[in-house]
Amino acid sequence: MLQLNASSSRWTAFFLLFLALCSLLTPAVTVKHENFKTCDQSGFCKRNRAYADSALSTSSWSSPYKLEASSVRFDKGLLTGIVTKTVGDETIRLPLSVSFYESGTARVTIDEEKRRKGEIELRHNSKARKERYNEAEQWAIVGGTVLSKGAATTQGAEKGTTRVAYGPAGAFEAVIKHSPFGVDFKRNGETQIKFNGQGMLNVEHWRPKIDKPVPEKKEGEEEKKGGEESAEVDTNVVTADDEGTWWEESFGGNTDSKPRGPEAVALDISFPGYQHVYGLAEHTGPLSLKETRGGDGKYTEPYRMYNSDVFEYEMDSPMTLYGSIPFMQAQKKNSTVGVLWLNAAETWVDITKSSSSANPLSFGIGATTTTNTHWISESGLLDVFVMLGPKPQDVIGTYSELTGYTQLPQQFAIAYHQCRWNYVTDEDVKDVDRKFDKNKIPYDVIWLDIEYTEGKKYFTWDPMTFADPLGMQKQLDEHERKLVAIIDPHIKNEGNYYVVDELKSKDLAVHNKDDNIYEGWCWPGSSYWIDCFNPAARTWWQSLFRYDRFAGSATNTFIWNDMNEPSVFNGPETTMPKDNLHHAGWEHRDLHNLNGLTLINATFSALLARSPAEVSHPIRPFVLTRSFFAGSQRLGAVWTGDNQAAWPHLEASIPMLLSMGISGFPFAGADVGGFFGNPSKELLTRWYQAGAFYPFFRGHAHIDTRRREPYLAGEPYTGIITQALRLRYALLPAWYTACHEAHVRGEPIVRPNWYVHPEDERGFELDDQFYVGSTGLLAKPVVREGQLESQEVYLADGERYFGYFDFEGYQGPGVVKVSAGLEEIPLLMRGGHVIPRRDRPRRSSGLMRWDPFTLVVVLGKAGDAEGTLYLDDGESFGYEEGAFIHRKFSYSAATSVLMSEDLAATGAGGSKKAKEYLKGMEKVRVEKIIVVNAPAAWKGREEVEVSEEGAGKSGAVRKVGMEWFAGEGGKAAWAVVRDPGVGIGRGWKVAFA
Amino acid sequence: MRSVGALLCLEYAATVYAASGEASRPRGVGPEFAKFYKDDSTFSCISTPSIKLPLSRLNDDYCDCPDGSDEPGTSACSHLSPLYPHTLVDHSSTGSNISLSLPGFYCKNKGHVPSYVPFTNVNDGICDYELCCDGTEEWDHVGGVKCEDRCQQIGKEFRKLDEARQKSLGSAGRKRKELVVEAGRLRREVEDRLQSLGTEIEGSEVKVRQLEVELVEVERREKGKVVRSAVQKVGKMGVLVGLAKQRSEELRGTLERVREERDASRGRVQELEGVLMTFKEEYNPNFNDEGVKRAVRAWEEYAARDKGPEPDAAHDRDLDAITQSDKDNGLDWAEYEGEGDEESDAGVLFAFEYYLPSSLRHWLDANLRTLRTTLIDSGILADTSSTSTSTSESKAVQAAQSRLDAARSDLANHHKSLTSHQEDLDSNMGPDDIFRALKGQCIATDSGEYTYEFCFLDKTTQKPKKGGGHTNMGNFVRMETVFVDEDVDSKGKGLGKGERIAMRHEGGQHCWNGPNRSTLVVLGCAEVGEVWRIMEEEKCVYRMEVGTPAVCDLVGMGGGGGGGRGGRDEL
Repeated sequence: MLQLNASSSRWTAFFLLFLALCSLLTPAVTVKHENFKTCDQSGFCKRNRAYADSALSTSSWSSPYKLEASSVRFDKGLLTGIVTKTVGDETIRLPLSVSFYESGTARVTIDEEKRRKGEIELRHNSKARKERYNEAEQWAIVGGTVLSKGAATTQGAEKGTTRVAYGPAGAFEAVIKHSPFGVDFKRNGETQIKFNGQGMLNVEHWRPKIDKPVPEKKEGEEEKKGGEESAEVDTNVVTADDEGTWWEESFGGNTDSKPRGPEAVALDISFPGYQHVYGLAEHTGPLSLKETRGGDGKYTEPYRMYNSDVFEYEMDSPMTLYGSIPFMQAQKKNSTVGVLWLNAAETWVDITKSSSSANPLSFGIGATTTTNTHWISESGLLDVFVMLGPKPQDVIGTYSELTGYTQLPQQFAIAYHQCRWNYVTDEDVKDVDRKFDKNKIPYDVIWLDIEYTEGKKYFTWDPMTFADPLGMQKQLDEHERKLVAIIDPHIKNEGNYYVVDELKSKDLAVHNKDDNIYEGWCWPGSSYWIDCFNPAARTWWQSLFRYDRFAGSATNTFIWNDMNEPSVFNGPETTMPKDNLHHAGWEHRDLHNLNGLTLINATFSALLARSPAEVSHPIRPFVLTRSFFAGSQRLGAVWTGDNQAAWPHLEASIPMLLSMGISGFPFAGADVGGFFGNPSKELLTRWYQAGAFYPFFRGHAHIDTRRREPYLAGEPYTGIITQALRLRYALLPAWYTACHEAHVRGEPIVRPNWYVHPEDERGFELDDQFYVGSTGLLAKPVVREGQLESQEVYLADGERYFGYFDFEGYQGPGVVKVSAGLEEIPLLMRGGHVIPRRDRPRRSSGLMRWDPFTLVVVLGKAGDAEGTLYLDDGESFGYEEGAFIHRKFSYSAATSVLMSEDLAATGAGGSKKAKEYLKGMEKVRVEKIIVVNAPAAWKGREEVEVSEEGAGKSGAVRKVGMEWFAGEGGKAAWAVVRDPGVGIGRGWKVAFA
Repeated sequence: MRSVGALLCLEYAATVYAASGEASRPRGVGPEFAKFYKDDSTFSCISTPSIKLPLSRLNDDYCDCPDGSDEPGTSACSHLSPLYPHTLVDHSSTGSNISLSLPGFYCKNKGHVPSYVPFTNVNDGICDYELCCDGTEEWDHVGGVKCEDRCQQIGKEFRKLDEARQKSLGSAGRKRKELVVEAGRLRREVEDRLQSLGTEIEGSEVKVRQLEVELVEVERREKGKVVRSAVQKVGKMGVLVGLAKQRSEELRGTLERVREERDASRGRVQELEGVLMTFKEEYNPNFNDEGVKRAVRAWEEYAARDKGPEPDAAHDRDLDAITQSDKDNGLDWAEYEGEGDEESDAGVLFAFEYYLPSSLRHWLDANLRTLRTTLIDSGILADTSSTSTSTSESKAVQAAQSRLDAARSDLANHHKSLTSHQEDLDSNMGPDDIFRALKGQCIATDSGEYTYEFCFLDKTTQKPKKGGGHTNMGNFVRMETVFVDEDVDSKGKGLGKGERIAMRHEGGQHCWNGPNRSTLVVLGCAEVGEVWRIMEEEKCVYRMEVGTPAVCDLVGMGGGGGGGRGGRDEL
């Protein structure tokens, strides 16, 4: 056995060598692992993993954390108390609060008394704050924190526990165990989530550094009273190693001074009975998160969240990426629960699953899987929100209520964006603009990467290449097109540059550990970084975007904030040193993952204050961010960063975007075509077909790649790509409605199977097909090379599905084959839905504003269908005053009537703006109704009766033409109503019989 | 709603009748399609006349005909294009080949030139004055847009410009004629030169023959003298041996030193190559540092070049052998130093190397030859072989020989010149040989941070304004014709649509992560030579659009031909 291992390891070595040689031969594009820490290289992660190992390997393990029963108070939905941690003779007091909110969310927060009171000493004369970081909620949490009046302690709880009933109809219960401290969250009496069930709770308390040659006994050792000898020896080794990571830590030539010493927080959170967990965006692996403690096909590293500029990131990896949302949902049949770990410091999450069978002889039948997770953050409070579902939407809804809903994007923002690093001159931009028109390819936005600036000085234009930015933007505006220009947070350190002069003189930049301005390297070379945690910095940042200051920007200029992790080329892990200091003395380590959010927050408000006219009539900002955290969705769009022009990256984009969708940040996209490298024409074509189903749809390319604007691809590719783009444009009403659902309810824009069908266990792992909003459109873009025959699509339920293009009928449940030639996008319509469309191809989405609608009514098994349409001016905040159209279309088989009902909140239409808007939309009509799976009984009928509400004409009936067509072969029968002419914003009925 | 509907009906009726009163055409129909709209009872779809529609369905903003011909004045059928993602609803009536029968919405543009606007632009809220100066394509005033009739103004401007264009075109035509004349003159120059070259060659041939005879004569005369001079040199063997020994020592010393230096340099090169290799593998191309990229590029080129043979051990063993003392090599100078024997004949001198051990001798022989050739090839030594072989020859023979050589070289040059002139005459210089007149002439333009230069039949160059080296963007390789479809601006600048002469330039400076730079220069007609546009179509593949009178009568002014009105072939 041993020999076998040895030989296999030799083979492994050969294989690795072979790989290494291969990578020398081909232009290697792989992430530089050595630039980023493994858990073992990140002291607190290593310590806590070791702690977890001790807890798991010691049968008599007892967590040293106790809730002092006498300290427990409960009042108006808030329970407080003191958790103590005993290490040797020392007792550390950790204030606990458990909040129960009206929304049904519970929150557990643990602080550390000594640090809170400032009774600690910092090393290296650090000017950092002494408390644990407690301001993450100021950035991430915006609502849903009204304490519940209904929550109440349960009488008669067994000794040593405190029970609180809360939530809708009191169906939820938190069972707080005193010793060791732990919480079980129950729904209808059944435990859904357990805190510290495995005893991995760990709050690293402050301690002075004592320079002793002999290591003293450490926690973890103490805690194992009477543990087995062998285990204790192991632990000794571990703790000895541990102390090595308590203080200064070096990585890649950078040393972190860690003036506060070890201060990690960690907790195990278990989901008994749940087979799948999702979330922890952003990672490249599958939607259903993998186990991380090794084994066949599993990761060996925990999922890491430490926002970083990961160059040439790799596929299927728990490595960190540009953004992080520490939100996780667990899924079992008909039940979804979730936790939000509110901590902006570097965070690692281990995931393991254990199976238990009620009857060992039943061979897995009736076995239950429990998913165990272990959350480890470097600093800050231990602060966890718990959502008990039971539906996916209940969880994502409450999460979105807490962290804020997706911004309602401007109409143009969900249309097609054309980007490249870089369009080289203003003339180049105008030329691309003309070429799109010439080739009849719609687009809405053209982008400028960093080269438009003069020497990478943001808020300037290169006078040689962009001499007339306003002329350029005027041309774009002629067809209602927009410009997005990049503005990054690093400010060039160069003389006679007003931005850096002001940044320095006003002292608004991030400081280094010695509290002097921090200098690092990024695109411009030596740079400083704006500290958007500082309110004064935000005010100043706002002023920079004023039209009179950012000369050359116009009302159709919007902003792209890149590199906001922040990316620092010469910093540790390509970011800032953790001991850098931000506003109010917080260390960078405390708030790193929030940094990107604070920048787009500042830019968002800046775009609302560019001129006095816009302050009084604001249009919705558009900001694209690369880095993000829980809450960033309120402020803009996100993309998955610098991907590659390779098939695996196209494939990975779908689970990545689905993951963003169920993590509350659904307005996300991946660079179409792939950023690095040159895509083959087939890949480019397939990518556009997939991209037409990304919520955020942007083509982008690296500066060293060949040009690849759609019109350059040549036939048949250009034609196929144009069709995909026009499909996106035709379906914009459906996309916009989906965005609105995200905006008001937090629903994902593209939805994975488990979200739509939480009852279907077989579909829980599915992450290569998805639904568009609640339109019933089911897409599975082709993401593999040479797959030109067909695509297998999984149908979760017994509903009927139809090909979007050919009306071919499919019957669920099960796997069906859908034709997938290069010119085809596997796209189905689920029976029972109404899909709104606009069928007239225009040059940009803005020019579709007055176009009529087509309604596609897809009758399901029961013969009914329902759908919604949300519509507003697509740019202003008028919708907040009721200036929108929100209709429900429903067809009932029983009455054979299709009707349009108002979904707008009562009274919302009363405002002046609302009236103006509706008046403006008066002439916009429904020009066509297509009924798919039309009843055979309609055969031969040539008319339908249309009645429409309106000034005094209510009830008047018109007859309009209808034609019924038999479906040939496997195709559904269909019917077309010819120009019903009913107003899109009005109530009406179309009677088919 | 009914009243709205009725109103709409009235409007359609008004449209139809108003149109029929005026030009018998519904809104948006161009004169060439009027015949399809004459029937005053029904309308038959153009592509499928079997489909008959009541006139009320003409321009009612709903697409009934599979070819869209019932909606010449609305955007209702604008989706009928191969570029649209059609569903069964469209395919069922038209099959797979979905297209429009009409070129677009016809704008009369009274006061200007009539034109068609694409149906996708009809009633989209944007006034497309470029194509529809009368604003009629926005007849529905969606969103309150009002496109006033600007044809008077636009037409006036157009005519003014057109006049200028025509004038310019005339002038360009004259310039072209001048160029043709000039080209003809240059051609005749070449032809004249060819003729004179023929005569010169004949003369040279005669001269060569004369000198050959002369050389034979001189050689014969001088033979005796050669023997005498050789005899004078014998008897100095001893001195020679001493000198040879000293020289040998010097050479050995130098060889050793050079070898040490070589080894040191080789080590340094290896070290540097290692550094660069690591540099290339580990640098981050995403950071787009031009300096770094240039360095990596240069390294790649260096690494790809043939760097000659690897150092081999045999060679080094030879060197070891040669640097041993002469005695160890079996050569004892002392044996010869005493022998001042005058009787040693000159043959010894010339056979000096026979005294060396044979292995050494062969090695030395071979290596000295190679070394010398290498040195000569690299320009360090002058090639003196012709004189060295004739050191023993008399001055008279040498003089005769050099006269002959000069004459032969003259002849060769004349032949070469003849060929090149002939090639020049035979080469394609464009229609009427016109580019002969422009060959080597350069025109340049500023674009962004560079000045771009195009030299006819020569090359294209990029010159940074901020200073720094020029970049060759390709050398002329051939002329071709390309099909273009570009805009022509109001001043008539631009390629227009159609076949154009283009010049392909290849093999320019190598590009980072890309090919060697290349440029396609497409020529359009202009009064004066100018670079209109320069684009980098893809990485390091450039396209220049250049105006020149040289192509004028071929393509018309502004490239588009026919004074601009037909230049917009948008539909």
